[in-house]
Amino acid sequence: MKRTISTLAGAAVAALIAAQPVLAEETLAIGVSDALTGGAAVYGLPQANAVKLAASEINAAGGISVGGETYMLEVIAYDDKGNPTEATNAVRKLIDRDGVKYILGFCCSGATGAVASFIEYEDAVMLVGNAAERSITTREIPNLTRTRPPADYTGAAAGAFVAAKGHKRVAVLGALDVGFYASYVDAFEKELNKAGGEIVTREAFALKDRDMTPQLTKIRGLEADALLVVGYVEPAAFIYRQSVELGLDLPRYGFTSGSEEQFLRVATSEQMEGVWDLRPTELTLLSATENGIAYHENYAAAYGISPSPSSPYAYDQTYALKDALEAAGTVEDTAAVARALRELAVPDEVVMQYLPIDGKMFDRNGQAYTSNGAFQWRDGNWTFVQDLPSDPVAYSEFLSTLD
Amino acid sequence: MTRIAVSLLYAGALVVLIALPQLISVKYYLHLSILALIWLIVSQGQNLIQGYTGYVSIVGAGFMGIGAYSTTLMGMHLGLPVWLTILLAPPMTAVFALIVGYPSLRMKGHYFAIVTLAFNLVIFIVLLNFTELTQGEAGITGIPKPAGWLEALNFRDREVYYYFVLAVAVLTTGIAWAIVRSRVGQILMAIRQNEDLVGALGVAAWKYKLFAFVASAMFAGLGGALYAHYQSFINPEVFGVAQSLDAILAVIVGGSGTLAGPMIGAFIVIFLPEYLRFADSFRLIIYGLLLVLATIFMPRGIVGLAQDLGARIAGRR
Repeated sequence: MKRTISTLAGAAVAALIAAQPVLAEETLAIGVSDALTGGAAVYGLPQANAVKLAASEINAAGGISVGGETYMLEVIAYDDKGNPTEATNAVRKLIDRDGVKYILGFCCSGATGAVASFIEYEDAVMLVGNAAERSITTREIPNLTRTRPPADYTGAAAGAFVAAKGHKRVAVLGALDVGFYASYVDAFEKELNKAGGEIVTREAFALKDRDMTPQLTKIRGLEADALLVVGYVEPAAFIYRQSVELGLDLPRYGFTSGSEEQFLRVATSEQMEGVWDLRPTELTLLSATENGIAYHENYAAAYGISPSPSSPYAYDQTYALKDALEAAGTVEDTAAVARALRELAVPDEVVMQYLPIDGKMFDRNGQAYTSNGAFQWRDGNWTFVQDLPSDPVAYSEFLSTLD
Repeated sequence: MTRIAVSLLYAGALVVLIALPQLISVKYYLHLSILALIWLIVSQGQNLIQGYTGYVSIVGAGFMGIGAYSTTLMGMHLGLPVWLTILLAPPMTAVFALIVGYPSLRMKGHYFAIVTLAFNLVIFIVLLNFTELTQGEAGITGIPKPAGWLEALNFRDREVYYYFVLAVAVLTTGIAWAIVRSRVGQILMAIRQNEDLVGALGVAAWKYKLFAFVASAMFAGLGGALYAHYQSFINPEVFGVAQSLDAILAVIVGGSGTLAGPMIGAFIVIFLPEYLRFADSFRLIIYGLLLVLATIFMPRGIVGLAQDLGARIAGRR
């Protein structure tokens, strides 16, 4: 009898369990197309890592709740080498073969431009990170947003800052065949000219150049009173190192967004001492907010290396996507998610310090704006010194007037 | 292999290519096939100068760039219809090839290769720095698809574009075949075997070399134009020396001096790196290693290997 009762009780419990609604977890695949190898990997790889980190945090916190379903994120990352054709192939693969609708990453302007040229016609949403070429967000592509502000937005602020320091003759040494670096310098020059200053020379280097002594020697002969270095981290580090080796005694300003570790692979801390980096207020440990400090710790724990300053653009993309998915209440309707992104307030979890336009993270062009900051290398670290004058509302209006 | 058997093989390959969009369910592979067909056109041109004439030119991608930018800029600034700009791209490229080829072909062997490499670098630098015209590294976006007298066809549909590029690839392969079979083709092959002897016979070899070089450039220009209108975006990076090396590899791996070689090679240089994506950062190392091994152990390419195997099987019978 006892056995019968216990059997019945067991069966009843089993029936109750079976009758419970099953709270199954769905998986939502998100894609990353970025430079994981090659020269641009200094930006692309940290971005891919940042997306994976954000996804793991979101999953650990219970996933994304959309329309009564809970979704866990799965990240599929492909290397586009910062090359336009490779990026097109990677994104085609993500969309057509892997069925991915949300694609993040995009550190490099050429590769990003190639994907942006067709993404409008795809059932997908593209979230651009570090790629700074202005034209990416001038066409108001409805399913494209970008977390990093265009280079000229920052260049203008940098020019005003350098002019305010009293410099009148600035020599430029940069990767000037790269569009967004050239546009940074153009905007810089306009502000410098307003204050009566001038650029005395524009010397160029290529991505793989390492010997900058010819350009630096020429600059020394021009009696410039400041040096502006714009370009990728590694060649910029060689410039800073060689400027000291040549005894060039000039205030050195830059636009590189490299981390301390990345610079110290090439130059010593003494050679870097006093260098300014005039850029969006990206992550540095000494300037970070609470989110930034946590991001830095979690990233370092996960990958055994400090995050690059620009990597949170991709981290923030992931949280923006999460909030947009939840607001849209769908993972299938990409148009609704794209609209939700445009209406999104700045998520609480982001690392960068965004300046909202009309209370929204992205303007009507799909462009987000951060504050710009002056960072200086002091005793082995990038130290945040001050905000640079930035007017995102005016810039957003200007961006809307461009084709 | 008999002529009938070869014809049957080509016909079979064409049938497979025509049926391909119906056979593949994932459009990504269709995208890769379009790129491979564009590379087939470029490689057939490369084969004329490299495979049949014996001169390795490292400017194929540069000429592709001239074709791509020609069609784009003529459409943007002169308002010409896409069909016309695509048709004008090869002659535009030919003009540049004449200017480049005339001095270059005075060189022989490695020197010719180095001169063409330098020209590819020059083209790349001009495309990168002449920003007023080319928009530099940022590239040109929104390049339109073909339209006009075939408006009923939506060229944004990849299947439609695939058949369009396939038709052009068949046409260019036919032209390559006609050149090779002609007296000109025979002289080109004679130049490859012994240029001095050709000269001793009173043939002005330089004219034929120049013809092969210009023809190969026109093929590349056409490929570049098709690429630009397919991708709707171009920037200089796509037309660098690395891509010229891909064209050379397509010819070598497929089978230098054969019509089928570039067809096979073009699909390999497009599909192989994509299939190796699973290897992450080792992808390019593996790709490079496979190509080195293929070049060492299959000097006559896949077509040569197939011919050897065919001959061996026939010999056993």
